[in-house]
Amino acid sequence: MSLKNSAAIVGCAQYKPERYATAPRMFHLEQVADLARQALQDSGLAAHQIDGLAINGPHFHEASAFVPAMAAEYLGLNLHFGEVVDLGGTSGVGMVWRAAAAIELGVCQAVLCVIPQRMAPLGPAEDPNWMMKAMRYGGHSAVFGAPEAEFDLPYGHLGQNTGYAMIAQRYKGIYGYDTRALAKIAVDQRANAQANPDALFFGQPISIEDVLNSRMVADPLHMLEIVMPVAGGAALIVASKELWSKARQRPAVITGFGEQLQTKSPSYAPDLLQTPVGPASSRAFQMAGLKPSDMDVAQIYDCYTITVLLTLEDAGFAPKGEGMRFVQEHSLRYDGDFPLNTHGGQLSFGQAGSSGGMSQIIEAVHQIQGRCDTRQIAQCHTAFVSGTGGVMSEQGALILQGA
Amino acid sequence: MAQTSTKPLPQPTEISAPFWQGLAQQRILIQACQACGHRFFFSRRHCPSCWSDAVEHTEAKGPFRLHTFTVSRVPTLPEFFDEMPQCLAVVELEPGVRMNSALRGVHPDSLPMDAALRPIYVNRANQTLLYFTTLDSEVPTMIDEGQDLKEHSEQDTLTQDPGRQAIHFKDVTALRALVDDGYTAFSNSVLVDQALVNTFAELTGDDYWIHTDPERARSESPFGGTIAHGALVQVLISRMRIPFRHEVVGFQSMVNYGSNKLRFPSPVPVGSQVQARARIVSVEELPKGTQVSIEMQTFVRGFDRPSVINEIVVLYM
Repeated sequence: MSLKNSAAIVGCAQYKPERYATAPRMFHLEQVADLARQALQDSGLAAHQIDGLAINGPHFHEASAFVPAMAAEYLGLNLHFGEVVDLGGTSGVGMVWRAAAAIELGVCQAVLCVIPQRMAPLGPAEDPNWMMKAMRYGGHSAVFGAPEAEFDLPYGHLGQNTGYAMIAQRYKGIYGYDTRALAKIAVDQRANAQANPDALFFGQPISIEDVLNSRMVADPLHMLEIVMPVAGGAALIVASKELWSKARQRPAVITGFGEQLQTKSPSYAPDLLQTPVGPASSRAFQMAGLKPSDMDVAQIYDCYTITVLLTLEDAGFAPKGEGMRFVQEHSLRYDGDFPLNTHGGQLSFGQAGSSGGMSQIIEAVHQIQGRCDTRQIAQCHTAFVSGTGGVMSEQGALILQGA
Repeated sequence: MAQTSTKPLPQPTEISAPFWQGLAQQRILIQACQACGHRFFFSRRHCPSCWSDAVEHTEAKGPFRLHTFTVSRVPTLPEFFDEMPQCLAVVELEPGVRMNSALRGVHPDSLPMDAALRPIYVNRANQTLLYFTTLDSEVPTMIDEGQDLKEHSEQDTLTQDPGRQAIHFKDVTALRALVDDGYTAFSNSVLVDQALVNTFAELTGDDYWIHTDPERARSESPFGGTIAHGALVQVLISRMRIPFRHEVVGFQSMVNYGSNKLRFPSPVPVGSQVQARARIVSVEELPKGTQVSIEMQTFVRGFDRPSVINEIVVLYM
């Protein structure tokens, strides 16, 4: 498949990541409207031009079904394309390519992609502990008949930490493990966050020793190698070539994408160390006619340091088994020779649920638009973005190029 | 004999029932496709390779091998406090067929990748679960979960170290040499079960539901179940033998003078094993005798944040 390169991201908006306890509470529909308005202003488009919507279905506060119609009604939109994307951390990547595909097919001309992730105000009859209870099983289903409820939960397999830890442990057994290289991923990204006042950990640089001395959560993963969940939310607008002329900023054209869903539990994957981002990225690069070394910046999904390591290898930036050497040999900082996760990555920017992945797309767009202030890369025309949902369950890749 | 459990239990379906029935008879059954020969875990309606619905349960061939594992230092659910540190694993039942399980009785620091394993059948309530252990472990092939806990805490008592240094209580110099930033090894473990918590509630009159009503605590408590009184865990120190390298001798009496600092930093869910460690903080020579401050830290077994920090003051006279 090839693209006509006739769809681009033209506007973005996001909330500054904040701790749940202190973040403002807003209804999700309210957040959708607020983020949409900000993204629209950023794009220079008019509200009536939006005729497509991609939105999260799971964890949407005001409804668990009919979400696109409810949001369209609230926004006052008539849609030619209404889509729920349920891909966890790769939802943002999934929304963007679906929007681009719909635009290229002529289904619609401008798609609002939005993921509200601040908490909603508590209703009078609502249980104050609802969120804690909803999060009890992490990404695992506890419903009768769900294979993971039957075969994982009774042994204590749930949440994300232990799944990623077991992948890292297997990596250690096969390729060896340089804990300092893994820690360096978190450290370089934290250095990037020092140039981003919106990052959760702005003003708090860390060293490799800090990472290695942080609490061991699940061997071999330390606390500072694990993303911190926060409140936030993000939106972006994908528009057709016909509308670009009205864009305020440089459009970031979608020239390649790929998506790969494997198994919910990585334990059943043919190989735990061949992650789905491999085939997803190779299709994305092929579509764009580019290779990893052509990228000016990489925004690699970083729920854990091990995710970054495996994506560097499987997406083709480093040969298999040599990711740790790659990390040691390159500076991953915005002013380094391999700028990676320049906004701090989710590890240092904060992970606002499934909009955390969208923050990485937005950073790629802002780099292409030259709007990153002190952390701006000198020449940025092409960007690679990856997304990861579940425990390497579903991954996606995007190639963006400045128009 | 099976007991009720607060841990999640498998709910067998019509499709998976043969697998669970097999475990009850200490047999590990996986499905095999009668059309294409593909063999797989977990049980489902069709073959995930060719989509034929001609699938039958058949004995897994082995060898059972450790594919990967992790030691979770934070319980993945509060109910798993008694298994801390949790050793979660992916186990190969035969080449290419894997399941999520957990390990018992292993030394995680010396576990080679692809280590040979043997199954352990763990009875929890009315279900049999499939855990694994290494070939050299002495864990029995069949475990009843409730009973195992109690046996474990009894087996776990420390043998007294005959090489303890005897120090006279007036030898302040020798005692001061013991002041250390490092802690002793851990004591024996003590099981904090609901019966113990209920007895304490009765004695003290503190029968708040968060301690005594497992059903209500399960739905309303932020801890997912009942928790022990902080004061109960504090005094359980008397049941723990802390492996000090020294023994104070020569005194007429030893007086508990109170506490300089008492904190309850993290809860102890009922069903946990607790254990303690200590360090000597200071030694002071007073007119009436020698005063020693000892920081005691009580932990839920395998958890790296203490449940009780108590700096006790003892006066030797």
